Amino acid sequence: MQPSEEQLWALMTRGMDGDAGAHESLLRIIAPMLRRFYRHRLAHLDDQIEDLVQETLIAVHVRRASYQRDRPFAPWLYAIARYRMIDHLRRRRAALTLDALDQMLASEGFEDACGARMDVTRLLSNLTPKQARAIRDTHIEGRTVAEAAAAARISVADVKVSVHRGMKRLAARIRGDQP
Amino acid sequence: MNTDDLVRALAADVPAVRRHALEARIAAGVVAGAAATGIFLTFFAGFRPDLDSAVLGFPFWMKWVYTISLGLIAVAATVRLARPEPLSLGWLWAVLLPVLPLAGLAAGELQRAPNQDWMRLWLGGSWLVCPWYVLVFALPIFAGLIWALRRLAPTRLRAAGAMAGAASGAWGAVLYCLHCREASALFVLSWYSAGVVLAAGLGALLGPRLLRW
Repeated sequence: MQPSEEQLWALMTRGMDGDAGAHESLLRIIAPMLRRFYRHRLAHLDDQIEDLVQETLIAVHVRRASYQRDRPFAPWLYAIARYRMIDHLRRRRAALTLDALDQMLASEGFEDACGARMDVTRLLSNLTPKQARAIRDTHIEGRTVAEAAAAARISVADVKVSVHRGMKRLAARIRGDQP
Repeated sequence: MNTDDLVRALAADVPAVRRHALEARIAAGVVAGAAATGIFLTFFAGFRPDLDSAVLGFPFWMKWVYTISLGLIAVAATVRLARPEPLSLGWLWAVLLPVLPLAGLAAGELQRAPNQDWMRLWLGGSWLVCPWYVLVFALPIFAGLIWALRRLAPTRLRAAGAMAGAASGAWGAVLYCLHCREASALFVLSWYSAGVVLAAGLGALLGPRLLRW
């Protein structure tokens, strides 16, 4: 059951007024929300998701002062969750794999996920135009492989191969294997 | 530690959060830093000797209105950047708004003054030290703001660092007005602003390192 914004907001504000019970309920309710949030985005990091959930719960607890009572709760919560995720990924960027990159592209803005420093356009400019277009179409603009193939007037297999090769190159680049 | 135990441990200590705790914390950072700068001003830099007559004149208030309005806008931006929700950074250029009226005054000065006086209006007697003084006056305030932000939740660290730097530069400049005797709008526009820009640059440089959480 998805808790409502009103419920979360009420628990949060009561917790901020010093109601420890409300605060505890809030943390209990948001823990599975955070778990879902991270599972959806970081499926390949299954073993680290609980750590991230805990880090985020601690951040929510310690940084309550950054919440304003007259604003919706969920955007604040997910902003903190997203920051913790980006920080986490930044710390382990060295270990980035092809699957991880694929997952991130699919579920989160690429830029956000690998640290705002990386610019999609700049990264894609390192690929051949065909690879860049295939990745942009299928992973950023969300078209199907068939649509992308039709738009670029190339075969479906060609799109798949271009995406695969391009991704491999991007992953290598983010890992720092090549300049 | 499993998550249930963690939640229980966290819930064991739930102090109330005052309303406007975020604003209060940032204000406390500015005030504490400004107090330290005030000590530096009193015992090392020194007040301008003609302060009591200067506060009656236009140039002093021109400088204060400029630096205080910069300071207020930059602090407001810092407050916003201390919250985690996403925002577009474009409106941060609002910090430049106080520059416009001052630039108008500077243009008027140039128009009225004969050409041979322009360099004097622009460079005054202290242009070489002014930006650095502003930066030094800013440092304690910057430290205060970093202290405040480290307990809050900035997610755009470079922007938050830059705005904290700009705010500290502006408030450092407010205090520097009590030391500096320069009176031309062109001077303030150039060299006070240069000091604020130095402080903002320092903040942008250090923000990602100092504000990470």
